[in-house]
Amino acid sequence: MAAINLSKMNQEEVIQAVIDHGGAGITKCIQCNACASVCPVAKAGFPLFGRLLFRKLQTGHYEEIIEDASSWACQACNRCTEICPRDAKPFEIVFAFRRMQAGELAISTSAFTPLMSLHATGHAVYSETSQELREQVGLPPVPVTSIADEKAQKEIQTLLDNGPMGELGIF
Amino acid sequence: MAKVGVYVCHCGSNIGGVVDVEAVRKHAETLPDVTISRQNLFMCSDPGQEIIRQDIRDGLVDKVVVAACTPRTHEPIFRKVLEGEGLNKFFFEMANIRDQDSWVHAHDHDGATAKAKKIVDSAVAKAKNLMPLEDKYVDVTQAALVIGGGVAGIFSALELANMGHKVYLVEKDPSIGGVMAQLDKTFPTNDCSACILTPVMVDAGTHPNIELLTYSEIESVEGYIGNFDVKIRKKQAYVDWKKCTGCGDCADACPVRTPNEYNAGLDNRSAAYIHFPQAVPKKAVIDMTSCINCGGRKIGSETRISKKTGKPILAPCERACPAGAIDRSKAVDPEGEILDVKIGTIVVATGYKVMEKDNFKSLAPDSPNVLTALQLERLISATGPTGGKFLRPSDGEKPKTISFLSCVGSRDEKHHTYCSRVCCMYMIKQAKLLKEKYADLNIYMHFMDVRTPGKDFDEYYTSAMDMGIRFVRGRVGGIDMLPGDKLKIMAYDADLAQNIEVESDLVVLATAIELQDNIKPLAQKLSLTLDGSGFFKELHPKLKPVETAVEGVFLAGCCQGPKDIPDTVAQAKGAAAAAAVPLAQKRVKIDPTISEIDREKCSGCGICEPLCPYGAITMVAVNGSHPRARIEMTQCKGCGVCTTACPSAAIELHGYSEAQIMAQITALTL
Repeated sequence: MAAINLSKMNQEEVIQAVIDHGGAGITKCIQCNACASVCPVAKAGFPLFGRLLFRKLQTGHYEEIIEDASSWACQACNRCTEICPRDAKPFEIVFAFRRMQAGELAISTSAFTPLMSLHATGHAVYSETSQELREQVGLPPVPVTSIADEKAQKEIQTLLDNGPMGELGIF
Repeated sequence: MAKVGVYVCHCGSNIGGVVDVEAVRKHAETLPDVTISRQNLFMCSDPGQEIIRQDIRDGLVDKVVVAACTPRTHEPIFRKVLEGEGLNKFFFEMANIRDQDSWVHAHDHDGATAKAKKIVDSAVAKAKNLMPLEDKYVDVTQAALVIGGGVAGIFSALELANMGHKVYLVEKDPSIGGVMAQLDKTFPTNDCSACILTPVMVDAGTHPNIELLTYSEIESVEGYIGNFDVKIRKKQAYVDWKKCTGCGDCADACPVRTPNEYNAGLDNRSAAYIHFPQAVPKKAVIDMTSCINCGGRKIGSETRISKKTGKPILAPCERACPAGAIDRSKAVDPEGEILDVKIGTIVVATGYKVMEKDNFKSLAPDSPNVLTALQLERLISATGPTGGKFLRPSDGEKPKTISFLSCVGSRDEKHHTYCSRVCCMYMIKQAKLLKEKYADLNIYMHFMDVRTPGKDFDEYYTSAMDMGIRFVRGRVGGIDMLPGDKLKIMAYDADLAQNIEVESDLVVLATAIELQDNIKPLAQKLSLTLDGSGFFKELHPKLKPVETAVEGVFLAGCCQGPKDIPDTVAQAKGAAAAAAVPLAQKRVKIDPTISEIDREKCSGCGICEPLCPYGAITMVAVNGSHPRARIEMTQCKGCGVCTTACPSAAIELHGYSEAQIMAQITALTL
């Protein structure tokens, strides 16, 4: 692998983008690896787990990593944030990176269906097969949430359509 | 018949975890002349000591053997116990069953127990033969000598002077101040070095108890604690300091250009010069190694009269001096003058130097844009060669990218294995100062790891990260010189697990701290030893950190090992306090475990005289007899070399008599 010429990397630009997307802790990371030690993404063997992702971002990597799917494996367990000795909030940096990825439509295919469902029903995951089971235990077949409320669905769609998600043009 | 008490110590688990203490105690009980044998978890604790006291009070014991740790730290404690109960304190013998047994045979319990018994046998055999000895005392000269006028020496001198002691402060350069006077700012508070140091320099220069001897070196040191005879060479300044006002006109007039030590060689000074603007004392000197004797005005030459003008032909420096302090026709001794002073105690504070970049061929030392950190310090200082403007030496351009390389010469078997302790912090300091001033400057810091062990240090480091200073983990392997005065750093980012390159305008090498060149002769004059890292060795790394193996000689600052300014000042004050003790006591104790000559047996052969490493033996004729050996008790250290060499067995080393040692050998070999 050829050496990376750090003088030619857009470090400031990438770090600013991470901060703008909600990952202000990126400048605080000292690469101690505590987050990696508890991270399910790292344990499952995904290549771009938290600590390494942060280093790539700190050194101005963007195009090289934007398509990487590792971040979508994050379970939002928040252990990294609990354990970080620098209070860098690693989980929020991962999510900031996801927002950057989303902005490039670099979204995991597995994420598309839940997103469409969220837009349509207000639920990222909703299964119609649960209706029968609900009736058996004496519940209304459809939950009393946005799923049964067209007005609420409209409101959710308005919110999503007018936010950064709407700009992606996927709905 | 002696009544020997044996006290076996567990030393917690240090001894007890390896040696069967009870078995050793039982064994001791069976030895002839042993009246009491006891054991305790910590014999040195107050209850432990009380056991011995009670046995002495009860008349059960008149010689004491403690089988425990090392006499180096604990012999004085137990001797005091004997003294307190009215026994001669030299009726004590220590059996070292820890350092020489349990620690070295940790995995052989039976063997260690058997060896402990043998060591106790030997100690008991000696104890039976112990003779009473008495401490001796000599008066202490009421003056201290501080060698080195850096921040350590200045604070040691001030501390001693404020206690009311006369102090000679000797500095080899024309001004005191040392390396700290070259620094721009200091971590972790960024106070200006000159602002905090120069007032203290003035205090030292004007203190009524301090005799400041700058541009001076130690010629010789004779004598011993309380009574050192020191010769100090005042180097020839070729300027009459009584007249010199420090105006600097001679320096302006002098046409010579030679590398300026104060600016770490970044610019030139003249041959007639003032050390630096805030110098104390502010006096000019003429450096004869670079002086070109303008107008043929060699020192001591007759003044010629110009035929044209009818006026005397003078060198520019002479002509410029408004105070008449320079007179080159005066034949002064180029060797300067020697001062003889009587000294009670000495603080050595000779400081350090940083390694030069030429030692590191792979790091492009030939590029003017590769600097040592001390050079950068001068480059960004308001009193530096650019007046504090941050400019690239090769072309005076403002650098856009700067790289710092840590551990250059430190933690490296090829140079120094130790950590220089201050580099991480001063690099971060320099980076922060630059980033504060030039927000658009790209700063890369290459580290093996960042070491910040000090109050407010880690916060200082992490705040540098917040400022956008970029830290890269990985030691730099090489620097390539590129066209356009650029430098390519070849490194590896351990966190990315990838090779990286950085193109920089300026590279700063955090070169290792090491002892000054030419310090070995001074070490010899003082009989000081160097440690494995090449610094002056303290007597004990924890408990006697400012003392040395030479009584009355103390250490302060970086000559004892790399340290930052807070630690240096703390050690300097500590060394001053330790050096003040003999001065305050007004007399010092001479250990009686030294050698003595039996004049009746001495044949005057003189074999012992040249063997003595302390020069304590002289051949003296008494009452017209032929010369016999005599040992100066204040100089004898009790090493025993003369004792073993004497063919007439005329020399006894008290506390290690032949009878005592033979008894030990017998006990060990039976």
